[in-house]
Amino acid sequence: MSPEVAAYIPWVSGLSAVICGLFCLYPQYAKFAAGVCASAVGVGFVIAMGVWFSVPAEGFVNPEPLMRWIEVGRLEANYGVYLDGLTMIMLSVVTGIGMLVVIYAAGYMRGDPGYARFFAAVSIFIFAMTTVVMADNLVLLFLGWEGVGLASYLLIGHEYHRQAAVNAAKKAFIVNRIGDFGVLLGMFCIFDVFGTVRFEGFLPAASELLTGGNGSGLTGEAAVAFAQATEVLKQGGGWLLMAAPFGLMVGAFGKSAQLPLFVWLPDAMEGPTPVSALIHAATMVTSGVYVIARTMPLFELSPYALPTVAVIAGATAILGACIALAQYDLKRVFAYSTVSQLGYMFMGVAALSSTAGVFHLVSHAFFKALLFLTAGSVMHALAGQLDIRKISGLRHKMPVTFVLMGIGCAALAGLPVLTAGFWSKDLVLATTFDRAIATEGGTAFIYLMVGIVGVVTAFVTGYYCFRVWFRVFFGEERYEMGDHHHGGDDGHGDDHGEHGHAHEPHEMDWGMNGPLVVLAIGSVFAGLLLGPTHVVEHLIDKTSAEANALRVGDDATKYEKWVHNLMYAVSAVVAFASLALAFVLHGPWRKVEGDDPVRLKAPRVFGALNSKLWIDEVYAALIVYPVRVMGSVFYVVDAVIVDTVVRGIGVVPRLLGEGARPAQSGRLHGYGLGMALGVAAVVAVTFYAMNRGG
Amino acid sequence: MNAQLVLYLASVSGAIALWLLMPRGRALPWWRSGLAAMIGVGALGAAWVAVGVRWWGEVDRVASDIGLLGAGYYYVFSGVAILSAVRVITHTKPVYSALWFVMVVVASSGLLVSLAAEFMAFAMLIIYGGAILVTYMFVIMLASQSSPEDVIEEQPEYDRASTEPVWAVVAGFVLLAALLSVGFDAPTANVKASAEEQEMSDAVLIETRLAGRLVVTEEDAARQALSSTPEVDATALSNSERLGMDLFEGHPLAIELAGVILLVALIGAVVIAKTKVPEEIARNAAFRGATPGAGGATVRPTEEAGPDSPEVLGSTRG
Amino acid sequence: MQDTMINSLTFSHYFFTGAVLFVLGMIGFITRRNMIVMFLCTEMMFQGVVVTLAAAAALHGNITGQTFIIFVLTIAAAEAALALGLVILLFRRRQTLDAGAWSELSG
Repeated sequence: MSPEVAAYIPWVSGLSAVICGLFCLYPQYAKFAAGVCASAVGVGFVIAMGVWFSVPAEGFVNPEPLMRWIEVGRLEANYGVYLDGLTMIMLSVVTGIGMLVVIYAAGYMRGDPGYARFFAAVSIFIFAMTTVVMADNLVLLFLGWEGVGLASYLLIGHEYHRQAAVNAAKKAFIVNRIGDFGVLLGMFCIFDVFGTVRFEGFLPAASELLTGGNGSGLTGEAAVAFAQATEVLKQGGGWLLMAAPFGLMVGAFGKSAQLPLFVWLPDAMEGPTPVSALIHAATMVTSGVYVIARTMPLFELSPYALPTVAVIAGATAILGACIALAQYDLKRVFAYSTVSQLGYMFMGVAALSSTAGVFHLVSHAFFKALLFLTAGSVMHALAGQLDIRKISGLRHKMPVTFVLMGIGCAALAGLPVLTAGFWSKDLVLATTFDRAIATEGGTAFIYLMVGIVGVVTAFVTGYYCFRVWFRVFFGEERYEMGDHHHGGDDGHGDDHGEHGHAHEPHEMDWGMNGPLVVLAIGSVFAGLLLGPTHVVEHLIDKTSAEANALRVGDDATKYEKWVHNLMYAVSAVVAFASLALAFVLHGPWRKVEGDDPVRLKAPRVFGALNSKLWIDEVYAALIVYPVRVMGSVFYVVDAVIVDTVVRGIGVVPRLLGEGARPAQSGRLHGYGLGMALGVAAVVAVTFYAMNRGG
Repeated sequence: MNAQLVLYLASVSGAIALWLLMPRGRALPWWRSGLAAMIGVGALGAAWVAVGVRWWGEVDRVASDIGLLGAGYYYVFSGVAILSAVRVITHTKPVYSALWFVMVVVASSGLLVSLAAEFMAFAMLIIYGGAILVTYMFVIMLASQSSPEDVIEEQPEYDRASTEPVWAVVAGFVLLAALLSVGFDAPTANVKASAEEQEMSDAVLIETRLAGRLVVTEEDAARQALSSTPEVDATALSNSERLGMDLFEGHPLAIELAGVILLVALIGAVVIAKTKVPEEIARNAAFRGATPGAGGATVRPTEEAGPDSPEVLGSTRG
Repeated sequence: MQDTMINSLTFSHYFFTGAVLFVLGMIGFITRRNMIVMFLCTEMMFQGVVVTLAAAAALHGNITGQTFIIFVLTIAAAEAALALGLVILLFRRRQTLDAGAWSELSG
């Protein structure tokens, strides 16, 4: 299949969005929405697979724009695709996981009043997300970037009648605005330096700057961009080049929920569970990782950019994991887990290894989608109950879910050899330590600390995910039904919906479990397939950081074998240790039921973590409250000063009007007199002038 | 003394006189009317003298050697027209204003006769003095308010008091002074024609035109042959004949348009007259509703409220 | 007989009379509040114009000035018909001829 065909992937989903939108208007057809959406995403997946092998190793760019969009002065931002290994991996993940989640959601959302609306928004999301990963320039990428933000907003607020969902949607949107502002600034800097926003223009130019070449090997757009960048640097525009990655970084941190902009992601779990799985775990939140991996040469040009990313990533990873271990809400545990795992991905790219970051992205997409969807199954079965203090011993009631979530937890914890998480997490940690060895001084220390934090985080991760698994599926069989139907369960037509709260939890049907099985298989075997075989590495090495590193010439320090081997051992030990700790505290023979033993031992620490370290409250005090006060002050200023001035100006015409008003007395005689006086004056002046002239 | 200055002074005096005569909602004291009459007549005489002096020996005369009697016609008719016009705008009773306006029309007709425009003079008398003024009288009659018998008939306030007398007089006489000052200079450059030249020019005009028309077609020739007066003696034509020829030869389109305007005005007047008036409908409805009440007795207006008061009508109905 | 100041008349004599009639009509239109009299005053302004037109015809030796008087009469007649119709209409609504009663256009 010719690579250009890939350009149809977004539009298939766009068509699906239109059709599902029409179904919103004609509710009798709403039941077909899931099928339409799943087919569209499936077609996208098939195209991606078909195109895969025809994409050349150095990447594919359509020679002519497929569609003209913006051409203003030097700025050219047209619709076009940029395909390489990184894009293809992202495309496959987005469409593949997307298809599975949509199939699951077809059952999960049944009976929801906004059934068609849900799938329309999901289609919009797939459209925007594939646009992001295929865009051949930053402006088009930004369009998709905003599009996924919109879809996220729509889907978090899917149950718009609940205030919590609406607030969460607004929070996600507003926090993402901060990141989007950063992306814009970064884009402006890049355009200022290189005179183009096209990847094929500024990326090779940036690589050339990185390697200190004279640009002789560049052709076409890249040569022009390189010439302009050289000129700009000569004229002292270096700070633009240094600032550009920080702008993009802010955007990536916003979209991918890193410190300090991660606060929206846990709240985003107010959306239906499939949304949490697809958008807020597997795909959208990884677009930040994608952007950094894509523009890696820029990040390498700035000596402070990647260490900054590393520090933020490490801090986010440990923070997210610690908060997760003290949460009672099933979905919140996984939400903070996502924040933490995104930190791992950034750690990978920060360690100059797109391979590690993207590999972890892929494996995380599998197992986190699996975990969210199994959590959704539990919630579905228990009528919205998510509190793990009130659920226990469900393994007999929901055996398939029990196994699937176990596989997901194993992958998340990184149990050795079999699971995807083991291979990808190891790669991340190993490359981080690699980086520490390869660099010197402060940078080396930073990478060393981040690597150690990563190992600690791995331990915490294993503990919290098995804690949940043991709590939910082991021990005495005991459960309380949710007091409200959560998510899309409202008014659905299933048997348990009709029987109210008094029904038994039950296993999902295979329409919903089927996708989960696929995800579970991926969680297990993706690591083995992609990890030791270096498939990911081979796929993206042409355009990734490693390529630049090789060109810079520090390849000698890369891939120190002993670091990797040591890492495998350490990871295995850590994973089993965490499993053991979780088993002791929360295993089948646990001593404490309905509460967390850690809370009883260290209530203050646990309480602090359970309250998410009061970060929301701190933000409220530091940002929201001052803004509110500032708004009040501005309001007073506006009302007292500005309004007075404006009204004062408004008084002038009124006074003029008052002066002229008697002229419009409405009396016929007034008008007659005015006319007569006018005629008399004109005639007198005219004839006076005539007589004087004569 | 400069004639122009005299004319300006006459304008100012006339303005003062007219201002003194303006109705002010009460009867004018005798000294005031007398003073105004003296000033006004003086101003008029001064203006005439100024006009005559200024034009003495000039060539734009319209009637020469007409004798004292001939000139007297002008002065008499002009004086009557101006004084009547003053009464039209100062009289408090509309009926008298209209009658004084008849006098204006009669006087200006006389002026037209002295200008050898006999046809138009009589047309004016008939159309203005006859048709239009009679229509005015009818309207005044129709629109006069029916006052109760026990109220002493008095002109309504809006007839007894004038609005903006000072400014109106100022505007009017500034305009008059300006017009008269141009009258001093402009006509000297125009065509000068004696009575004979005037007749000659008309005769030449008509002969050439008629001759041209008469030989254009055979039909014209035949009509001429049938005509009892084959030769047109232009000098012998009367004023009406010349007027008719000029009207129909020179302005055929204009006369058609005038006909259209009259037709439109006719239709418009009918439409306006037939327009339903909401207030009147309401009044009539109230009146009809009131008459069958109170044992069939005629509703008499009480002392407190007039016959138009709906409250009174409503109560009597109950 | 020799022309004298008294026994010869100029265009300006008639123009003077016409102008005075016109101006008096204008003043009357402004000062009078009775709508019928106001329209009567406009007719008087026509009179001034008529006199001036006739004098101009005599001055120029051209009959067209008199012809125009016919059109003036036409317009005067049309105006009288419409104006009086309107006056009656307004009177039927307000039961008064006061032009000051119609001042809804006041600013």
